Amino acid sequence: MAAIDIHNIVHSYGHRPVLEDISLSIPIGSFFIIIGPNGSGKTTLMKTISRIETPQNGRIKILERPIQSYTRKHLAKTISWVPQTIPIDFPFTVMEVILMGRAPHQGILGIENQHDFKIVKDAMKFVGVEHLAERKMDQLSGGERQRVYIAKALCQEPKILLLDEPTASLDLAHQVRIMDLMERLKTEKGVTIVMVSHDVNLAALYADHLLLLKDGKIVKTGSSDQVLTCRTLEDTYGCKLLIDKNPLGELPRIGLVPDKFKVNEKKDVKLF
Amino acid sequence: MQRPKSKLKFGYLSAISFVIVGFVLSVAVQSHGKDIFDQLGRTVKLTLPPQRIVSLAPSITEIIFALGRQHLLKGVTRFSDHPWEAKKLPKVGSYVHLDLERIVALKPDICIAIKDGNPKEIIGRLESLGIPVYVINPLNVVAVIKTIQDIGRLLGAGEKAHHLVQNMHLRLERVKSTVSKAAFRPRVFFQIGISPIVSVGTDTFIHELIVLVGGKNLAEGPVPYPRFSREQVLGLSPEVLIITSMTRNAIFEKVKADWGRWNNMPAVKNGRIFMVDSNLFDRPTPRLIDGLELLVKLIHPALLRESR
Amino acid sequence: MKTPMPFVWKRLLTISCLLICLLLPVMFLGLCAGSSGTQFTAVYDALTGSGKTDSMLHDIIWRIRFPRVMLALLVGSTLSLGGLVFQALLRNPLAEPYILGISGGSAIGAIIGILAGLSRFPGVSLIAFAGSISTLLVILFVTSGQSMVKKDILLLSGVMVNAFCSAVIMFLVSITQDTRLHSIIFWLMGDLSIAETGQVWILLLMLFPCFILLFLLSHPMNLLLLGREIAQTTGINIMGVTMALLITTSFMVSATVSYCGLIGFVGLVVPHFLRLLLGPDHRILVPACVLGGGAYLVLCDMLARVLPEQGEMPVGIITAMVGAPIFIYLLKRSKA
Repeated sequence: MAAIDIHNIVHSYGHRPVLEDISLSIPIGSFFIIIGPNGSGKTTLMKTISRIETPQNGRIKILERPIQSYTRKHLAKTISWVPQTIPIDFPFTVMEVILMGRAPHQGILGIENQHDFKIVKDAMKFVGVEHLAERKMDQLSGGERQRVYIAKALCQEPKILLLDEPTASLDLAHQVRIMDLMERLKTEKGVTIVMVSHDVNLAALYADHLLLLKDGKIVKTGSSDQVLTCRTLEDTYGCKLLIDKNPLGELPRIGLVPDKFKVNEKKDVKLF
Repeated sequence: MQRPKSKLKFGYLSAISFVIVGFVLSVAVQSHGKDIFDQLGRTVKLTLPPQRIVSLAPSITEIIFALGRQHLLKGVTRFSDHPWEAKKLPKVGSYVHLDLERIVALKPDICIAIKDGNPKEIIGRLESLGIPVYVINPLNVVAVIKTIQDIGRLLGAGEKAHHLVQNMHLRLERVKSTVSKAAFRPRVFFQIGISPIVSVGTDTFIHELIVLVGGKNLAEGPVPYPRFSREQVLGLSPEVLIITSMTRNAIFEKVKADWGRWNNMPAVKNGRIFMVDSNLFDRPTPRLIDGLELLVKLIHPALLRESR
Repeated sequence: MKTPMPFVWKRLLTISCLLICLLLPVMFLGLCAGSSGTQFTAVYDALTGSGKTDSMLHDIIWRIRFPRVMLALLVGSTLSLGGLVFQALLRNPLAEPYILGISGGSAIGAIIGILAGLSRFPGVSLIAFAGSISTLLVILFVTSGQSMVKKDILLLSGVMVNAFCSAVIMFLVSITQDTRLHSIIFWLMGDLSIAETGQVWILLLMLFPCFILLFLLSHPMNLLLLGREIAQTTGINIMGVTMALLITTSFMVSATVSYCGLIGFVGLVVPHFLRLLLGPDHRILVPACVLGGGAYLVLCDMLARVLPEQGEMPVGIITAMVGAPIFIYLLKRSKA
């Protein structure tokens, strides 16, 4: 069963087309990463999946059921969204934010019971923010905040987790930490991870499936080997790239080629 | 000759008895309390002649003092400044923002209100608290005279009111006859606001007074308090410029000096710029006649000299 | 095993009790103090029904001061709650209950009513209410559709509408020269002296359902503060919730303002004050604003009646002069 089935999605903001006839299928329990240049429609695609945006055309099926058949609460219990940042005008504590993740399972006033507290505790343990429970959100570092968002999303007990560039402003240690967390979620809890990333190398290291988008159209989809070829990437991103083999395994490693290293336009330095 | 004489006698007798009966009845009815009607036609329930009165406007306070009934007055509004004894009485707020609690605390038998200024709601609330309210609405000089009579009747000062009113009538007639000899109407600009320049339209006491003393109100018209720019005033070319001020003389000297720069204006050329006390002109009280007499002096001084 | 009471209910009850313990004495003070003097024993007697009160004092306490204290309570609650909701809806700490054109629309309506010579209730109040609902409709029209949930558009249209209305108000004030000008000024400054028992009951009946509804929406309000995307993906109908919050709060504030004019500063400072003390959870803040905001205005109104020698001060002056220093002090302490 596919976690998410997308058929012929067309979406535009006003008169500007953003997604043009996208069709794809995301297998259940996979680590699915969407990459592509800026403005290629990556985040918009994710927003249509989570129903934050409604596409002008096309059909989306979540777990074999059309997305429209889900009530808001039911969808919230199935798909969780982890944003890049959230506004912190009136800062809540870490505990309060994570507790709000239980909302789809609660009544109108969101009164928390013992079960809710247990789930929250487990989520905090999983992401490693237990010691920050009473801290205010505006007193956390970027990496800590990102983990709080993930913990909150986990409290919704979703089957699919959507993440919008979660490592964008994080340092190396935190990048790896978050990605490893996602890997654990996938393997330990069977959650399907769908992520937008601007970091092709991270995508190469973790993804089971990749989707390369450009100008709202699918360029290539498949495994890392299939998608991350020099020609494909250079055409998509429009710049010189150096692709070799990652010593860690059968994975491509993509490097940039600054102007000062370009010896000759004709000679392609290819080691892989 | 017998029959006509007896008829006459009978006539006299019946006339006298009617008068006596009428007098007795009216006294009896008054002392047993009846429904009195105020100047808005509202019914005011008063069982006994009032012993504790609260005045809800400075003009009403003046009238009560003029009628010699100030011993019945237990509370007045903030700007009740004439006569000076009124300033010592307890205050119940200002006439545009009355303090309900203070009024009630004074336990009045009746409150006397004025339609133009007192908030409508207060009248209703006072009555719902069991305090009758007598509302006056004097819109011109004749109405002011009637108001003095009405209040006099209300407070059992009918005779004093009668004297007062007679005196006012007398002086009014004297002024009218003096100015009837006027050959022309001087152009008068009556300035009640300094910045911006505001004058008075047709629907005001001041206009009526100006007309009565034989002047021409340059600001007459439907707007009660029209605004003028300096240009417009110069264009109207007033012969007499009267400025009312609730402020000090220093301000008046400055305003006079300001106008003084425009020596093409007849009022400036002839040095006919005057300051008067506004309270003589905008309060519906016996002092309106004082204002009237003052105006004659300012607008038609020649006629006064003649009549002496 | 006994299930302990859920955490938020416990907090809610504790804080509500504390605030009620603050509110009741403040209300008692409000009944005791007035422009005709301060009478503690008399009020105590009147409350305990020992029947010794003289009828004039009885009238003053029950028919003048009591409706006024009740009105201050209702207005304080409404304005504080209105400020709280708009601060959450617009995610802007400078938001206050008049920000979406309510003050402008109702002021124009009130001035028209006063110029037409109508009495405060029901004439002027009804036209003022119509005025504020009109501005609400204008704003709904301008922000119709998806743009309503974009808080900046909502905020800007409110500011523009208010600016336009201010110009109209200034014009109307400038052309009024007679005694109606006084009525207009007093309305613009806010005036609780018009409180009458029957009318206050009507206001209570209009406002109480709004308080309940806003309490029920307090959890969604928390979620709205985490941003549109999070709120939506956590199962909130942001369009529906935004509309409900907007309409309920506008209705509630309009009703209050139409009756007693524009009392300022309460709706801005009380929510911040309470948020600094109690945290940003709206399930606690909504009842806290009702009780705390009410107590605050009852206290300020009492001071406004008692402090000045001549007549009373507009209560808006006291709310600002008392509130601002306390708020600044708390702000400094919280940053430290």
